Amino acid sequence: MPNLPHEPLLEREFLERLERLAIHWQRSFAGLVGGHNRSRFAGGGQEFLDHRHFHQGDDLRAVNWRAYMRLDKMFLKMFQIEPRVPVRMLLDTSASMAAGTREKFTFARQLAAALCYVGLVRLDTIQVLPFASQLREGQVSGGGRQRYRLTAEFLEALQPGGATDFLTVVRQYLNEYPQRGLVIVISDFLDESGCEKALQFLADYGNELMLVQLWTDEDRTPPWSGELDLTDAENGGHLRIQVDDEARRRYTEAFDVFSAGIKEVALRNDGKYTGLPTSMPLEDAIFGSMVRARSIA
Amino acid sequence: MEFLNLSLGQFTALFGAVAAFSVALYLLDRTRRKQIVSTLRFWVEPGKAAPVTRRNRIQQPVSLLLQLIGMALLLLALAEFQFGGRQNARRDHVLVLDTSAWMGAALPRLPNRADATLMDLARANAIGWLRAVPDSDRVLVVRADALATPATSWEVDRRNVARAILESHPGATALNLSQSLQFASQLQRRSGSLPGEIVYVGPGRISTHESNNMSLPNIPAFRVLAIDDNIENSGLRSVNARRSADGAGTWDVAVRARNYGRRAKAVNVTLNFANAPQGARTLDLPPGEEREASFTVHTRAAGILEARLYPRDAFGADNYAALELPELRSLRVVVYSNQPDAVRPALMSDPRVIAEIRPNAPFMPETGPEKAGLVILHNFRPPEIPPGDVLWIDPPVDNPPAPIRMRVNHPEGLRWMPDQPLTRGLRARDVQIETTSVFEPGPNDVRLAEVDKGLVMLARVSADGKNRMVIMGFDPFAGAMRYELATPLLLANVLRWAAPDVFRDRDVGTQSAGAVSMSVTGNLPVQVLTDAGVNLPFNVRDKAVEFFAGESSRVRVIAGNSERVFSLTLPEMWDVKWTPPASARRGIPAWNDALRRNRDWWPFLAALGALVLIAEWIAYGRYSPLRLRVARPALERAA
Repeated sequence: MPNLPHEPLLEREFLERLERLAIHWQRSFAGLVGGHNRSRFAGGGQEFLDHRHFHQGDDLRAVNWRAYMRLDKMFLKMFQIEPRVPVRMLLDTSASMAAGTREKFTFARQLAAALCYVGLVRLDTIQVLPFASQLREGQVSGGGRQRYRLTAEFLEALQPGGATDFLTVVRQYLNEYPQRGLVIVISDFLDESGCEKALQFLADYGNELMLVQLWTDEDRTPPWSGELDLTDAENGGHLRIQVDDEARRRYTEAFDVFSAGIKEVALRNDGKYTGLPTSMPLEDAIFGSMVRARSIA
Repeated sequence: MEFLNLSLGQFTALFGAVAAFSVALYLLDRTRRKQIVSTLRFWVEPGKAAPVTRRNRIQQPVSLLLQLIGMALLLLALAEFQFGGRQNARRDHVLVLDTSAWMGAALPRLPNRADATLMDLARANAIGWLRAVPDSDRVLVVRADALATPATSWEVDRRNVARAILESHPGATALNLSQSLQFASQLQRRSGSLPGEIVYVGPGRISTHESNNMSLPNIPAFRVLAIDDNIENSGLRSVNARRSADGAGTWDVAVRARNYGRRAKAVNVTLNFANAPQGARTLDLPPGEEREASFTVHTRAAGILEARLYPRDAFGADNYAALELPELRSLRVVVYSNQPDAVRPALMSDPRVIAEIRPNAPFMPETGPEKAGLVILHNFRPPEIPPGDVLWIDPPVDNPPAPIRMRVNHPEGLRWMPDQPLTRGLRARDVQIETTSVFEPGPNDVRLAEVDKGLVMLARVSADGKNRMVIMGFDPFAGAMRYELATPLLLANVLRWAAPDVFRDRDVGTQSAGAVSMSVTGNLPVQVLTDAGVNLPFNVRDKAVEFFAGESSRVRVIAGNSERVFSLTLPEMWDVKWTPPASARRGIPAWNDALRRNRDWWPFLAALGALVLIAEWIAYGRYSPLRLRVARPALERAA
């Protein structure tokens, strides 16, 4: 069901509960100072990190003059930096997200809005990038919680459509955004040509992956039985099939294998994976599944 | 097996239509459905070709079978399917509820209801039995006392039957059980359905006559709901009053009482007339015995005679009886005669006659307010003929009331005309007439006596019926005839003809309602009348008049010159206790027995059909909770 114009994606009470959360990533990224995640890189931070020998060209202001007076050697004090890491969110808007009912698409937008609000509260900047067969024009969400309305309006205006092409999208992404950072992918990952390779590209280019897989109950455990004429929501392909309990069991097994493959990609690259059925309440998904996966804390 | 609501053809057609519709819906539901899905990749196993579909094949045949079975069960319920065919079809029961007078006896021990009677107990038993009757069976209620009266038609509606039971009250007569059971058996045979039970509810108290002549019909299913009536009772059986032979204003009263209990008792019988005590007697009553107490009541006036029995007991209806004694009426006779000594003995012998003998001259006509019932003109013709009833005895030859043809001495061939009240009991050989006038009869004259020469006695009634006269051509008070029996008989006949009510012999009695028998003598005309003057049907058999009064009333039986008034105010009581046959069922059937005999299968069939359809929906329904319950944990595990 499409959201009505006056119906917000998230209620105010729910947003207030999100304010205690923060998006976390594991890797250290080079970036502008000002973020809240510590980096193993030394820089212009406030907290002491280590000493090293002075080399020519180093900033004399960082020399430990007390040690020089005592040891007659110049040591340089190093400080830990807290960089402002780029966080980008790839939001699947392909037709498969709206197959049957639109609950998967709606759930994805609600989840994206929630994560954006978490970032806004922590003064992080999150760039929302819708995609299907290619990247669409995105929206930068940053500047504090007062800017949430712009992000919400952008998400509400999104319409599903098109086939998913992860490989094209990733290539386009890497070209446009070479700076490494945290990449949040909210999708059903149902790409006819497969998504594992494209996700591996993202990780190989130094990005940390946070994969959020969404599915409806029909996606995982189809309730139908008998003769079915199935139509693929993205490419329009048809399949006539006789469905019985055994067929449904095999379908679910195949789906679980598929989900395990995506999860493996994420974990293999020190990323995070969260699988969310749309029948799960959004609050449980964020405060339960995603917190347990250490995607947010 | 059979269907009550549908024929087999109707059921088959209906089930065929429903089954065809169900199969069509099933095939339509199970045909290929179009569905848009997110992806097709999981439906096809890698390396394998797409599965081949097979059209027009019934999928999930168990589902279709369950649907058809469910529909069939519901249709069987609709058709009221029954096992066993006619043997288990609807039956007709007759409830014979005892409403005899004895059912009004109070129960001795009921703490919650002090005024409870045997009738209340019988009603409760009847309602209990009614609850155990299968719902489809019909019930007819018969109220049984001396008559068997149906209180309902064949009813399926239990409320109507219960209402008839609760509206049944004790009557005034005793139970005629064999007649009631025969009536119930006849009703069952004519009902057209299979006979059910005939149930008698009551204590089974019947008369000795019925006990000796008991002929119960052959009832295959006879049930007795016996009512315990171990109640001590003694009561009045009858109160009879008769004019005493030795006094005009005296009544001989006989009061009979009976002990119905098992213990000997001494009871007091008191008699009041017009609220004045007339006497009291103590009667020792052995168990089951009857005793009589005699009283004498002196009165000429009418009034209520009341008999009471003390001490009072559980059944008060037979402790009191009342009857109305009639007034002693008399006939005033004015005689104009110059031979009063000859006339007086014939008139003064009856106390009901008040005779006034006046001389012929000077003639004193009747002028007072009290009019004479009969005027006798003895050898005399007054200047004007008095109105009313007049007896002319040997009228003068000049200006006679009827033309005289001749005078005859020692007439021969006297014949009294038969079938006339004025000549009843007279025989010709007893009469010796010395001289008589022979009359020339008119066209409307009634001939009463003739001799060879002609008519010597006649009766004449005026056109308006107000003035009647009897004319004798001879003088019964003269000569040898005055000593013969015919003279007082003839005079008595004239007096009864003039005032039949005065000279009628009266007996007054109180006894129980129901069948009443009174002995009569001779072949006399009989009338049986109620107080309202309505003729009651009666039967004369073995010199006895028999009639039936179903309720308390007063009945007059007039047979010839005698009249007996029955105040049927006492309840008709029983004599013996009836013992049910050994083959009779006893008591209210238990609830599980009622359930076992319940032949209504349709509720169970309907419930079973609904269960089958629900089970089919749970197992195969598209949105069945079972499927959702199986799918949800898997989803949660995946999450």
